[in-house]
Amino acid sequence: MELFLQTLVDGLLIGGLIIVIGVGFSLCFGVMHIIDFAVGEWVMLGAYTAFWMVRYLGRDPFLYLPVIFFLYLAIGYLIYPLIHRAVSGRRHNPALMGLVFTFGLASLIKGGALTAWGFHVRSVTTWLSGESLALGVAVVPALRFAGFAFGVLATVAFMLFLKWSKIGVAIRAMAQDRVMAELLGVDTNRVSALVYAMYTGLTGMAGVLIGALFSIHAGMGLKYTTFAFFVVVLAGMGYVPGVIPAAFLLGLLQSFVTVYVSGRYTLLAVFFVLYLTLLVRPRGLLGRGW
Amino acid sequence: MREDCLSRLNWGRGLFLILLVVSLLSLTVSPTTGAAPARDFFKVGVVTSLSGELAFGGNVTKRGYDMWADTVNQLGGIEIAGKRYRVQLIYADDQSTPATAAVAGERLITQEQVDFILGPYASGTTLALAPITEKYKVPHITGSAESPLIWQRKFKYTFGTIPPVSINAQAPIQTLAQDVSPKPQTIAILGIDDPFSKFAAEAFRTAAQKFGIKVVRYEIVPEGSDYTPAVSAAKAQNPDIFAIGSHEKAAIEMIKAAKELKFNPKAFVQHYGMTTPDFRKGLGKDAEYVFGASVWTANLNYKATILFTTPKEYAEKFKAKFGTEPDYTEAASTAAGIAFQEALRQIKATPPLDQAEKDALVAALEKLNIMTFYGPVKFATSGDYYHSNAGLQPIALQYQGGKLVEVGPGKLALAKPRYPTPPWDRR
Amino acid sequence: MAVPLFVSSFWLRIATEVLMWAGLAQSWNIIGGYTGYLSFGHGAFFGIGAYTTAILMVHAGWPFWPTLPVGAVLSVLCAATIGIPTLRLRGAYFAIATWAFGEAVRQVATVLEITGGAFGMQLPPFLNLPFFYEAILIATILTYLLAYLLLERSMFGYKLRAIRENEIAAETAGVDTVVTKIEAFALSAIPAAIFGGLYAYLITYIHPDSVLGPAITDLMVVMVLFGGVGTLWGPLVGATAIQLVNRLLWFLRGESTLYLVYAGVAICLVVLFMPDGLMGLVERRRVLFRPRENLKALLRQFKL
Repeated sequence: MELFLQTLVDGLLIGGLIIVIGVGFSLCFGVMHIIDFAVGEWVMLGAYTAFWMVRYLGRDPFLYLPVIFFLYLAIGYLIYPLIHRAVSGRRHNPALMGLVFTFGLASLIKGGALTAWGFHVRSVTTWLSGESLALGVAVVPALRFAGFAFGVLATVAFMLFLKWSKIGVAIRAMAQDRVMAELLGVDTNRVSALVYAMYTGLTGMAGVLIGALFSIHAGMGLKYTTFAFFVVVLAGMGYVPGVIPAAFLLGLLQSFVTVYVSGRYTLLAVFFVLYLTLLVRPRGLLGRGW
Repeated sequence: MREDCLSRLNWGRGLFLILLVVSLLSLTVSPTTGAAPARDFFKVGVVTSLSGELAFGGNVTKRGYDMWADTVNQLGGIEIAGKRYRVQLIYADDQSTPATAAVAGERLITQEQVDFILGPYASGTTLALAPITEKYKVPHITGSAESPLIWQRKFKYTFGTIPPVSINAQAPIQTLAQDVSPKPQTIAILGIDDPFSKFAAEAFRTAAQKFGIKVVRYEIVPEGSDYTPAVSAAKAQNPDIFAIGSHEKAAIEMIKAAKELKFNPKAFVQHYGMTTPDFRKGLGKDAEYVFGASVWTANLNYKATILFTTPKEYAEKFKAKFGTEPDYTEAASTAAGIAFQEALRQIKATPPLDQAEKDALVAALEKLNIMTFYGPVKFATSGDYYHSNAGLQPIALQYQGGKLVEVGPGKLALAKPRYPTPPWDRR
Repeated sequence: MAVPLFVSSFWLRIATEVLMWAGLAQSWNIIGGYTGYLSFGHGAFFGIGAYTTAILMVHAGWPFWPTLPVGAVLSVLCAATIGIPTLRLRGAYFAIATWAFGEAVRQVATVLEITGGAFGMQLPPFLNLPFFYEAILIATILTYLLAYLLLERSMFGYKLRAIRENEIAAETAGVDTVVTKIEAFALSAIPAAIFGGLYAYLITYIHPDSVLGPAITDLMVVMVLFGGVGTLWGPLVGATAIQLVNRLLWFLRGESTLYLVYAGVAICLVVLFMPDGLMGLVERRRVLFRPRENLKALLRQFKL
């Protein structure tokens, strides 16, 4: 029973971390129909940025969360025009060219990180590292809980922004019907750039938490690319609220398979569920995706 | 409508294509490579990972090989029958992939006509290179690869200076079983699904069974998964020993997870990964009390005569040259060069080596029994660990006061093992 | 037969590699180029072929040749299993599903006992390089012949291109798009599996990371993109250029991980400026790569 509860808590906490990545990624697809293969690389860059800031400026990496958000917001905003060019070319299948472009971007970022920072494994320590809270019989690592809370809060804030702000309305309009939104005076190009920027900003921030929890190295991104894809397919492509249950499902799947079946089958189980979803409910578990 | 090249194909082009195919089909290997041109230095091929995922490890072996070659050349070369012959290292990057390791071997042997080869960092690339050195009958020593798979294959021309991980990883378990009291009763083992780590995890299990420690959980998890659930499951068994079979990255994450989950076994056991600087930097003071294994440290009391007299002298010269402390892989790579050097001296072969001399070199390597700064080098000539170094004793290590200290097994201890590990909140 | 031309075994090995990649790139081109559906898990078929050959030779004691068709059949079955649910849907689902499939096959190979798990597998060494060179040359010629006959000279090829240009229009015109796409995907898996089998026997050691790693797929995509997507000779041109440059850089001391950066930059630049690849330059007989105009067009994008 104790192990069961601990497994449940572990799973939910893993899920909470993945929400942040999933939300931005899903919105990116919903608004621009861009599948960003580089999603894991933004996580990696966020983690490295936190590492270097702590190395040179000291203090706690959590303090740099807003800085990193705005840094990657700016980077995303500057990169978006390139993606726009890739998807708006005269080729037969522009969306797929976008896919290839981000694929190249991922290789570029990963190779750059490997070349610049080498193969060392790095770590950052926060004031919460190694601390934990007791929740009944289960132990809740404080840092993971912070990650979880951050994930949920960021998602809620983001949802509210989409719901109430003027840009949020434009974003939602674009996700529903791009042409119509354009006709009604939405500057779709600018809104797309903003969405992409917010996505890279959020993902970079998630990278700080992930880097603090695990370890930081150039190859860490791949895993989160897998998770982002998984979550988005389960949620239904482009359906942002579906990300939350999908991320929790992914977390629980991982922890329960590891504990009660075998850790060797964890990733296999993830891919199996992904395949089943595509087979049975291609529009996501809630059937609300594209 | 797009028009492709072939739709405009005419007879002239057709004939050209057919000719091209026929000439491509008739490409074949030149029958003999011929004798190497005369030279008065040894050409040594080095295949290792200078790029790709294993570049970090590849550069570790490179430092070891460079240390050997540069020290030999400073002395004027290898002394053979009264005359000194310098050595020249020729590097070929294996890009961390087996296919490139094979091409690299092919290039060094047929293009560069090297006399012998110092091998790659990883086992996978070594397993692709070994058939090539076998085909061309070129002696090959690896200073790093240690997977038992290589030795099971019984390659005649391939040797290795590091004993297989399945032997080494037993050292800390043996120490805990024999040198501490009360003796630990139970062990939970968590391994990563790669060959090196899995052999280590299996070695932990074998050793535990041999020394009467009950294995309460044995789990192999894939690299890169979230280790918290697996650590939670180990914690639920409340074992005395928590053993981690992995490279340093997973070990760091698992020990972090153990701390967060307030998992307090009486001993944390790792093996090679814990000797790396990244492990210590990554965990900080949480690395304290962790047990590990190695086959070489700079504190050992070996007395040698070839190139370096003691491990300490090697470590000092190494640090002066590269600015970092040498670990066992660098030492073993240097020792691989020393093994060649001694075997060459014994058979009095001078460069370039012809085939008879290469075969004599292999025969000499099989008989070799020397004492180096790295310890005894003596290659096994039978059994499951054919041609791996059987001369060495694995050592159990522990972090004590931020330093790696030799704690066993038995008489190899330079300090007493600290056991049990205090709980996280009382460190 | 012509007089044998002698080369050193090193160069013969390089030639063998170039031919293998040319064939692999063409196999990706069938689904990715001609049909316009990006398979990001094509390396899985290569790995399935490699593992089939290894398992049948090591565990069942088969001779080499009969293992190749078995690998091909298995790959076709896998392609159908992946294709049936995902090719009913348009767009990115297929890319994600194949990508997940590639990773899943790697996990399976790491977990199973019969594949040697993370230890990999060793095949009986047969180090006759000219044999492999000729086998791979013939396989490559057959792949291109197949592509030429089926994709450039038959109804099937027109259907595929119709799907790529406008899937809805193709469907309206009476093309059973789902079946055609699945057929193309299954077809594309065959050469990949055959080359996998040949590779396994050539290198004699296979491991999930070496035959099922993402690098295999990445290279196929880059080569096709670089040579020219959806053209018969594009993959050959791309594979030759990239593999030769790769080996030359390596030969002339390419001792860093910069090759990943080069690959990334190459993909991005090709997508942005040269979407028709090298073949685009050759075919149209005029230079499409106009740096100044392209740069201006790009800068315009930045004025948001």
